[in-house]
Amino acid sequence: MSEITLTINDKQVKGKEGDTVLEVCQANGIDVPTLCHLEGLSDVGACRVCVVEIEKERRPVPACTYPARNGLVVKTNTKRLEKYRRLILELIFTERNHFCMFCERSGDCELQKLAYRYQIDNVRYPYTFPSLPVDLLHNYIVIDHNRCILCGRCIRVCSEIEANHTLDFGRRGWRTLVSADVEQPLSESSCVSCGACVQACPTGAIFSKVSLYKGRTDECQQITTVCPACGVGCELNVLVKDNNLVSIEAPRLVEPRGPLCRVGRFELLRETRPRVTSPLIRGKQGEHEECTLDKAVQVIVERLKKVKGSFAGLVSARIPSETLSSFQKFIREVVGSDWTDTLDGESYRVISEGIRQFQDESRGLGIECPLEEILEADCIIVVGVDPEINNRIIGTLVRRAASQRKAKLIVIGSSRDIFPLWTDLWLKPRAGREGVLLNGLAKILIDRGLVKQEGISAELTQSLSQDSISGVSQTTGIDKGSLELAAEMYGQAKQGVIIYGDGLVQGNEPSLVASLLKLADLTGNRVGDRLRVISLKPGANSRGAWELGLAVKGIKYNKPKGLYLLLADEPENKELLSWLEGIDFLVVQASYHSPVTAMADVVLPSPIWAERKGKYISMDGRALKLKQVLQPEVPQDQEVLMKISQKLGRDLS
Amino acid sequence: MSFLDLDEALIDLASAIELTATPITDIKEFPLVDVGIIEGAIGNEHDEEVAKKLRDNCRTLMVWGDCACFGGIVSMRNLFSTEEILQRYYSTESTAKDGKIPSSEDLPPLTTVKPINQVVKVDCYVPGCPPSSKVIHYALTELLAGRIPILPSEMMRFD
Repeated sequence: MSEITLTINDKQVKGKEGDTVLEVCQANGIDVPTLCHLEGLSDVGACRVCVVEIEKERRPVPACTYPARNGLVVKTNTKRLEKYRRLILELIFTERNHFCMFCERSGDCELQKLAYRYQIDNVRYPYTFPSLPVDLLHNYIVIDHNRCILCGRCIRVCSEIEANHTLDFGRRGWRTLVSADVEQPLSESSCVSCGACVQACPTGAIFSKVSLYKGRTDECQQITTVCPACGVGCELNVLVKDNNLVSIEAPRLVEPRGPLCRVGRFELLRETRPRVTSPLIRGKQGEHEECTLDKAVQVIVERLKKVKGSFAGLVSARIPSETLSSFQKFIREVVGSDWTDTLDGESYRVISEGIRQFQDESRGLGIECPLEEILEADCIIVVGVDPEINNRIIGTLVRRAASQRKAKLIVIGSSRDIFPLWTDLWLKPRAGREGVLLNGLAKILIDRGLVKQEGISAELTQSLSQDSISGVSQTTGIDKGSLELAAEMYGQAKQGVIIYGDGLVQGNEPSLVASLLKLADLTGNRVGDRLRVISLKPGANSRGAWELGLAVKGIKYNKPKGLYLLLADEPENKELLSWLEGIDFLVVQASYHSPVTAMADVVLPSPIWAERKGKYISMDGRALKLKQVLQPEVPQDQEVLMKISQKLGRDLS
Repeated sequence: MSFLDLDEALIDLASAIELTATPITDIKEFPLVDVGIIEGAIGNEHDEEVAKKLRDNCRTLMVWGDCACFGGIVSMRNLFSTEEILQRYYSTESTAKDGKIPSSEDLPPLTTVKPINQVVKVDCYVPGCPPSSKVIHYALTELLAGRIPILPSEMMRFD
């Protein structure tokens, strides 16, 4: 882009062609007040606070929408502009309820800050006092229309960042209201509760119920860490006051991995399970009683010696890599067993076997592409997974690609319409026929010459030629037209991404994974030596745990006699309960009391996400750093493991 | 309260200021003064009359607090009708006998709540809910120095 030169406040400054006047000002450190502008969103010139004077323009213009040109002469700080800005703020104040003393956002409000800056100590116009609704029904978000200035930041963040298009303006003129769908309560609307609107709102019009009355931003310490909820690895800006969690914000809301989901933004703050604060052992009547850590360690050591048969270690994939290493060493070297697994280890075994079947010299998960590829895609196949359940940000990225890049979206095998606005094709194969479908698609691609890979092995062509398209159609229950359409969409795409997960992996058929990889390979969907395929991993550090080799063997079918379960602050998991039946000696190290801890012979405390530090590997292989946000209430997991090891005469460090 | 929070600064102020009328002295007629101070919004005809009377009898009129400057918390009343307000005040939430709404021609009728500057001309404003004693002190010393106080941005507070 070519460089342009402008004169701003009598000084020569440089900008890029295509910049707005505001962007040039900001790049050159020239302060222009803004209200409806939010970095990374499109500009609409709604508030007019950023007005500037431009030579030869009859009246002041908003800097945020005025294109910068070579030779433009701009003034940003004249008496006349100050007068207009003051006037605009006064008019905003008269429109609705902007009395700060009973507003949750007082102290954190951009309108208030501007009013201070422009010394608005009175308003010269009569107030209108409209009586507008307040929507309190949503689980996490309150919309108080009385405090809304109609800047539209929530609307733009909802469409441009979250690509959910729930919020928009309703009604006209001075009756305009921000409206969810068509004036639905937010709780009844298509809102996915990502909370981006809460962060974008400059006033107290949209705020979080979860952080209510807990503290203002300037009273809080801000610590950037990584979300423990899933493998996407979103950065969280955690606000803490007096060792209490106040709120969570996205440090880089507008970047590809910027937005947060409702878990990261709200649910982490709304934990209601009672905390395990002290070790518990079984008393004489079999009931749990509190004891010292030393006593609990002694019981573990004694019982460990008596376990007749196999002993296994099962660990949550929320645990950082350093602790996972200690855990692995503990089970292998101290307990003397090779049997370890993660809670989601079964997925790993299917995925990695699938990758191995596809490619002998397996690079393992390294064959998968970075998540950013989703945003660049022009066709996306989502197969056997609902990102809204475990990896909501993936859903956001898919919606963004579909809405902003017009990516074609094919959903395979979901029980619900995951992306109601965006799905181009929804294929529902009969249960267990996913493989036939995938191979059918491969065959159509080959038949139609839509493959980019050179020299397709005769073996592959041979194996596929057995399936006739009508046969595939009959077996899968999907009409021929849809099959052909799906193959065409994917085959013609330049950057087609396949996203798969649970649904495809649960059936324990690695060949399905291999078929998917083959599809991507056939159509040349590669970035460097990686394929545009992404498997969704539920645990924040699943990949870290898997790459450490912790996912050796599951305990679902083969039961060990003894089990050390490092559960940490995992959400409740009903399936896990059934896995634990029939184990003679069960140690559970957990942050919260739950039906799982109730089954344990010994319960040990464990820190929660905000009390841990260490390293995570995101689902696409990036190393992320976890910072300790809160002072821990209980000893770190490693300390407990070390104590047991010492008692057994081994050194874990 | 914020005014009394000036503590020892009051002693210095007292030697420079002659207080002629306050709500405590309950003087109905104001003598002609240099500075008149109003806190609170206009809520009925009586308030309006007092404000006008004070305006006529002072050279500089200063208002204290968000209610006087902007309308403030009491202006929430404007979202409801007078009947609803009285009903709520005297019967729903009150322990007043029989929930009877008092009425007498001596009682001034309620009006829309307004900031002072919508009834009379105001010369200077000290917002805050409440204004801190620091800004009250600043405003008074500015006046004593013969200047009309305008709070600098860093002293501005609406809560």
